[in-house]
Amino acid sequence: MATDTLQEFRLPDVGEGLTEAEIVAWRVAVGDEIAVNDVLVDIETAKSIVELPSPYAGRVAELLVAEGDTVAVGTPIVRISGPGESASGPTGEVAADEAPVDSPLDGEASVDSARADRPQVLVGYGPSQRRRRSRSGRREHHRPARSVRVLAKPPVRKLAKDLGIDLATVPCDGPVVTRDDVLRHRSRLMQAEPAPASAAGSSATSVPVTGVRRATAEAMIASSSIPQATEWVTVDVTRTVELVERLRADRRFEGVKVTPTLVAARAVCLALRRTPDLHAKWRETTIEHPESVGLGIATATPRGLVVPVVRDADRLDLRGLGEAIADLVSTARAGRIQPEQLSGGTFSLTNVGVFGVDGGAPILPPDQSGILSLGQVAKRPWVVGDEVVARWVTTLAVTFDHRVADGEQASHFLADVAAILEDPALAVAF
Amino acid sequence: MELSFAKAVNAGLRAAMEDDPKVVLLGEDIGRLGGVFRVTDGLQKDFGEQRVMDTPLAESAIVGASVGLAYRGFRPVVEIQFDGFVYPAYDQIVNQVARLRFRSEGTVTMPIVVRIPYGGGIGAVEHHSESPEAQFVMTPGLTVVAPSNPHDAFWMIRQAIASDDPVIFLEPKQRYWDTGEIGDEAGIDLHRSRVAREGDDVTVLAYGPTVKTCLEAADEAEESLEVIDLRTLSPLDLDPVLDSVRSTGRVVVVHEASRTLGIGAELAARITQECFYSLEAPVQRVTGYDTPYPPCRVEHDHLPSVERVLDAVAATGEF
Amino acid sequence: MGLPISRTLAPDGELVSAHDFTVEDLRGFHRDMVLARRIDTEAYALQRHGELGLWAPLLGQEAAQIGSGRALDPDDFVFPSYREHGVAWCRGIDPAKLLGLFRGTSLGGWDPAEHRYALPAIIIGAQTLHAVGYGIGLTLEGRESAAIAYFGDGATSQGDTNEAFVWAASYNAPVVFFCQNNQYAISVPLERQTRIPIAQRAAGFGFEGVRVDGNDVLAVHQVTSEALRKAREGGGPTLIEAVTYRMGAHTTSDDPTRYRDPHEAEQWAERDPLLRLRRLLERTDPQFEEFDAQVQAEADRLGEHLRESCRNLPDPDLAELFRHVYADVPPELVAQREEVRSWS
Repeated sequence: MATDTLQEFRLPDVGEGLTEAEIVAWRVAVGDEIAVNDVLVDIETAKSIVELPSPYAGRVAELLVAEGDTVAVGTPIVRISGPGESASGPTGEVAADEAPVDSPLDGEASVDSARADRPQVLVGYGPSQRRRRSRSGRREHHRPARSVRVLAKPPVRKLAKDLGIDLATVPCDGPVVTRDDVLRHRSRLMQAEPAPASAAGSSATSVPVTGVRRATAEAMIASSSIPQATEWVTVDVTRTVELVERLRADRRFEGVKVTPTLVAARAVCLALRRTPDLHAKWRETTIEHPESVGLGIATATPRGLVVPVVRDADRLDLRGLGEAIADLVSTARAGRIQPEQLSGGTFSLTNVGVFGVDGGAPILPPDQSGILSLGQVAKRPWVVGDEVVARWVTTLAVTFDHRVADGEQASHFLADVAAILEDPALAVAF
Repeated sequence: MELSFAKAVNAGLRAAMEDDPKVVLLGEDIGRLGGVFRVTDGLQKDFGEQRVMDTPLAESAIVGASVGLAYRGFRPVVEIQFDGFVYPAYDQIVNQVARLRFRSEGTVTMPIVVRIPYGGGIGAVEHHSESPEAQFVMTPGLTVVAPSNPHDAFWMIRQAIASDDPVIFLEPKQRYWDTGEIGDEAGIDLHRSRVAREGDDVTVLAYGPTVKTCLEAADEAEESLEVIDLRTLSPLDLDPVLDSVRSTGRVVVVHEASRTLGIGAELAARITQECFYSLEAPVQRVTGYDTPYPPCRVEHDHLPSVERVLDAVAATGEF
Repeated sequence: MGLPISRTLAPDGELVSAHDFTVEDLRGFHRDMVLARRIDTEAYALQRHGELGLWAPLLGQEAAQIGSGRALDPDDFVFPSYREHGVAWCRGIDPAKLLGLFRGTSLGGWDPAEHRYALPAIIIGAQTLHAVGYGIGLTLEGRESAAIAYFGDGATSQGDTNEAFVWAASYNAPVVFFCQNNQYAISVPLERQTRIPIAQRAAGFGFEGVRVDGNDVLAVHQVTSEALRKAREGGGPTLIEAVTYRMGAHTTSDDPTRYRDPHEAEQWAERDPLLRLRRLLERTDPQFEEFDAQVQAEADRLGEHLRESCRNLPDPDLAELFRHVYADVPPELVAQREEVRSWS
């Protein structure tokens, strides 16, 4: 006979969620020889009295619980020593053609190791038996800092967090801390010193430099150290004006403000692709070409000049670009531009034409490779063929970073923009 | 007095039947057998076959007949044997029981209680571990309650029977054998939620079988969890919930039912509506997944567990 | 009562009607019933070992299931409830495959198309409607084949079943409704479901009802063969009521001592389906003992096979199951599956 193994039988859940049972009567005694399915014990559950048949054949080695005991499901109740699984029928012999996994000839070790990991009983072993799982990417547990409860909208909470400001320190008029409250508080924190008082008796007035004014000034100061140059061209944009009229009536552009500026913005994106040197950033030892165009749209707002950025402008079609620009401009004018909307610019556009001037030499925004200004679109005398006719004419000027590009590249770029504005159908070729 | 959940319902039914001769019970196997979970054990012997009726095998008729009994002035308490078997009765429940007061402009009353053992975790075969509560909560005209412990079971079944509104009474079968002290007093009303455990950092909302899970999580958590037993799903009692959220700013909802359009979705919407300015993080939901209930060998991976609750608690700290 | 009960083999083993079964047929019935009983008793024991969460025993109903199961053509389609382990045996389904549902490793366990045997229906009566629809499909295709739905006495109260009767009559569907009247629906006795023999209800719906001694495997085979033939030939539905007895409990979660008189089971033991056939064969088949010994040995091997297979049924992988909710997995479900996978 192979080495005897000791098999343990644990109290099963016999009725869908039962948690315990009382041992009513043992039907075997220590030393009894039993076959598989011989009745071992009667138990009483919350529902009924049940006979438990033996999963094992062998000799009853030990009764682990007594009659009258109430036992939790999963508790070992009896040990049976035997040759292992698969003793069958009254003779206890294994049928000749049977080749069970747990053959009695395999010996103790293999049977035990096969059993070791496997819970014997299916259900209702109770919560302690359930394997506790853990998650990949485990989270941190920590008690949050106890602070005064502040009311604020989730985006405002995030803004404060991004700016490193404790909401509880932000003064506010109402019960709820607003975005303006946070930004105002931040501006106050940014002030290096208080504004100088006017000299006694002087008739000059002075206002403190804060907010957008300060930001603009800082940007201009930074730009002044970058070598930059400007080129000009005057263009007949009659066909762009006609295109704009056509698109305004087109259902596909319903709801979008189509203007020559929009067409110019699209032209800039196309032209930058053809002259990548105008879309480059100086990095001392390298020149970096941004992957996509972040088009800054210089916008005059009640607070001053703000240049929000249309991200991935070159990936937008005309309609998408129009919507993006309109959205940014209205947001900027309402004073609700968020810090992240001001960053990521690679090339900017400024329209001075709306103020009635022809152009200027715009100042390069820091860390951008160029800026294009658009002048007013006005009817001017123009030569077509050999005749002088009235055409819609505008002046374009591009200021570029002379560290990364020369006059030649700037000229190519500007000529391309002009060409598209003169004949928008050329965009198909670009 | 300490009773198991099942025995607490039994005792509550007995008390209700003693109080009011118009209370009658209908259901499959509730009389002679005493119910497959023994919840109606002994009641037919003591109150007779006319008040505790073993019905033919027909859920639609069980509910439909109760409508007729209600017309006649009885207060029927019917049992649907398992959650998964309620669907033949769903038509009678939503089209008749839920609507007759409305249809009749208040002249017809449906003081019917539909008792349904529900939820999983008992190693059962298909259709025996469902959580269909949302389908009743979304039905105007029904009230839905979900006691989580024996004390509530005892008092809430009596209150449900006494209510003039129809009540879907959800009994968490995984907790049928859990015992608890039955308090002397009714404690709180049928349609009130209850703070089961106070805490400062995170509000955890549960009902029925997941209340115990959340209390176990609270024992283990580093964070201080406030566990609220909702008790009533329709109508919801949100006052204690909103107070808690305004204090913690963080919420985790835990239910066995699948995620989409579960009670967690309604709670998230209402909490966001009422506590928008207090929220530090979006409402987290720990739920069964959007699959049919799986084979029971893997049901514990499907059902909310202590570790999943703790994970969601930690997640509220990441925003 | 109204309808006569067909019987060929009486409880004492005497033949009371004609039959044309061969010795091989009779031995086949015996073997199948012995093995069906063994499958049942082994699975019941496995539940008590804790290897299955539940088992629904067929003890006492072997003749009803083997008799009808053996009457089926390979092409016929079976819509069972959850207790027809004997019919599954006749359809060639490895009985180990029946265990997954009860162990909780699966909600089914086989491809219905492979054995022409649908997955068990736990919702009472649902399968009767499925059988009718299938039968209508056969008619649309002009196929000479039949569907058979198995259900119990309790199911005849369920709305779905009565609707199935209406439809089967209305469409003249090639369906055999096989009702195993085992006298109980859990604890509720037959009288609560019906005031008349179940087979008699068919007349009310407009088709034929046949009553048969469900413990007489020969008569069951005869009436089922006839009903199937009729269905295949366009004769419409038949309701067969096989009068039998549920010798065991409703399931392993049930305790019949709470609602049944033990004498009742004792009386039915005299009508045991295996016993009466054994009596016939012992009397008429000289080699029966030798044959029976082989069958018992085969049963022992089958028992071991079941125990072995049961313990080796693989646990399902919850994340993998997400694949089977839809044909096209929606993004939300993909995200939830990833959530499941993040736990181990």
